[in-house]
Amino acid sequence: MSRSGFLFPILLIAFATSLGVTVLIPHAQLGALTPDFKEEDGLVSDVYPNVPGGLAEVGRQVYVSEGCQTCHTQIVRGGDSADVDRGWGSRRTVARDHVTEHTPVLGALRLGPDLSNVGSEKWRNEPSDDPYKPAKRDASWHLKHLYNPLAMGEGSIMPSYKHLFLVRKITGTPSPDALQLPKAMSAPTGSEVVPTPEAKALVAYLGSLDRSHPLKEAGKATAATTPKK
Amino acid sequence: MTDAVADKAQIRIPAPDKAAQLSAVDRAQIDASVRPLVLWFFTTGLLWLLVSTSLAVVNALQLVFPDFLGFSFSNFGRLSPVASVTFSYGWCSMAAMGVAAWLISRLSSRPLIGKTVATLGAVLWNVGLLLGVISILTGKMSALTGLEMPSSAYAVMLSGLGLIAMCFLLSFRNTGEKVSIAAMFVIAGTCWLGWSLFAGNLLLATNGVNGVIAQLVADWTNSGFVWMWLVPVSLGSAYFVIPKVTGEPIFSGPLGRGCFWLYIFVAGLTGSARLAGGPIPVWLSSLSASAAILLLVPVFGSIYNLIASCRGSRRTANSPSARFTLFGLGIFFSAVLLNAVGSLRSVHYMVQFTLFDSGVAALVLNGFVTMALFGAIYFIMPRISGCEWLSSTLISIHFLGAAYGTTMGSLMLVFSGLASGAALDAANTSFRQVLEVGSSYYWGRVISFILVGLGYAAFTLHFLLMALRVGQPGGEPTLFRDAHEH
Repeated sequence: MSRSGFLFPILLIAFATSLGVTVLIPHAQLGALTPDFKEEDGLVSDVYPNVPGGLAEVGRQVYVSEGCQTCHTQIVRGGDSADVDRGWGSRRTVARDHVTEHTPVLGALRLGPDLSNVGSEKWRNEPSDDPYKPAKRDASWHLKHLYNPLAMGEGSIMPSYKHLFLVRKITGTPSPDALQLPKAMSAPTGSEVVPTPEAKALVAYLGSLDRSHPLKEAGKATAATTPKK
Repeated sequence: MTDAVADKAQIRIPAPDKAAQLSAVDRAQIDASVRPLVLWFFTTGLLWLLVSTSLAVVNALQLVFPDFLGFSFSNFGRLSPVASVTFSYGWCSMAAMGVAAWLISRLSSRPLIGKTVATLGAVLWNVGLLLGVISILTGKMSALTGLEMPSSAYAVMLSGLGLIAMCFLLSFRNTGEKVSIAAMFVIAGTCWLGWSLFAGNLLLATNGVNGVIAQLVADWTNSGFVWMWLVPVSLGSAYFVIPKVTGEPIFSGPLGRGCFWLYIFVAGLTGSARLAGGPIPVWLSSLSASAAILLLVPVFGSIYNLIASCRGSRRTANSPSARFTLFGLGIFFSAVLLNAVGSLRSVHYMVQFTLFDSGVAALVLNGFVTMALFGAIYFIMPRISGCEWLSSTLISIHFLGAAYGTTMGSLMLVFSGLASGAALDAANTSFRQVLEVGSSYYWGRVISFILVGLGYAAFTLHFLLMALRVGQPGGEPTLFRDAHEH
């Protein structure tokens, strides 16, 4: 009566093929990747990527917990894409860039710029001659940007992360950490805006993001300033 | 095959299937026996749908006013995955399981075995999901796109799913000469769901899976969740509902079966398409892109088969079940086409990481899966409640709101993705300009959600009335208003 017997074995083959081809074979190919390093006279140096340590690692957890990866990728594409020419990196990112991360923060959507190399001094988010280009995107710039992205004059749609900051009354000497904000967005007189440890850690993580270390499989690094066409 | 189809089947098939011999009383008994379980699935599913739609409205408004409801727990970064998991794991999955439970008991011509266990399973699934949602909102999110909920939440959901799947598989028996196409899709989807959530989470828990491979596992699980669980159940539901409405058998059984097998093999290979061109092996990029294009064949075949089954039938025009299902199939056609075009190398580079992908996902989930499930619920509820839907006006409001809202919302995402993708592709534009180009469509999205919300609210009200057995007397199905004018 029943011819349902064949259904389950073939389904099993289909399901196993799916996992095998899209996960297990890539794992066999990439699973044994190790960080890149130089070895001279038994001494290992120039290890890349390194396991992020201390504050940056805490900051990575803040990055994930706040959901930054919902709008920011950490993937620089090569080939015909404009990623390198936009100034988001000097080369495409490859699997080896992520070997030290148990779960990488690759992201899926670019409602904000790619952050693979945001800690690099060469990173930019606008043509080099753009009048809006900030002089420097250093820790203090990032803190102000996290506190009030809209006020940074970049047409950003990033929400404010005010909950990572404290607005408090100045008692005695002002805190050396207090943000130097432009007048329009500064705290009321007698108060100051200070970053919480989470905000500092997050900025330390952003500052640590630099994947410009040359890797053989990523091909030649292109100068980020070369115009595309 | 029952009801009107049975008469035909008895003529065409030498050995008449047992389901066809079921009397109306037997059918009513089977339906009554699954009523509590199916109602529990549908009710919790609809609750998640309302939660998810409200969150999606807030999320859409946040693209226009970035600081709208910007508390730490409700910022865009956390709310966006929550709106997404409550929709797919909450609404879509609960409704799909309800449809599957009813279909399996009908197709097997007997009440479900282990209904109480399955109800407990549904409770566990919901508790696990709630746990996952709270985890994301309080910042305990996973870094992997597509699997944002922590593994503890998945563990609770999986234990519930185990109970539900066990009940489904034990209850299923083949009553005809061949397994019906509807049953093949539903069974395959159920098996896949258990397999992929289990295998995916197990792999991620092992130390050997690191870096990019972890994201590949997440993409495999997440893409399979849509293409190998929700889509097959929706297609299975279409394969059941359409012949019921027309009273004619399916246009071609061999075409249906062939497309089923091709679909199951090909759809399972599309998982890494999202990362094509990224830090994954080149062959994998090419393979997933080819699979996305090859997927056109079984999908178009299935859609042709289903639409050809409606030829010459006047009933499909006025039946809510058929209208929702056929609308869903039409949207699915365009979604799979866009998906294939988007995976062509030149287009892919442009639209990758833009809202284009979200638009295609919205077409599949909101446009096809949701509409097909609504169609099935319109068919199932009168049979488990013993009365017909109260108001054809409410059905019309539901259809118009959901159909226009979903189409508009998805197209806004697709257009926004195309526009910002083209701007991103030109290296001499600043990111500020990219945002400006993409943002023109955000208001349209807000409006579309209001339409969708209206439709869903009308349906929820109507559904609750039906669950309380407030409706028109049984016998004559409630059709769209224009049916009475002819």
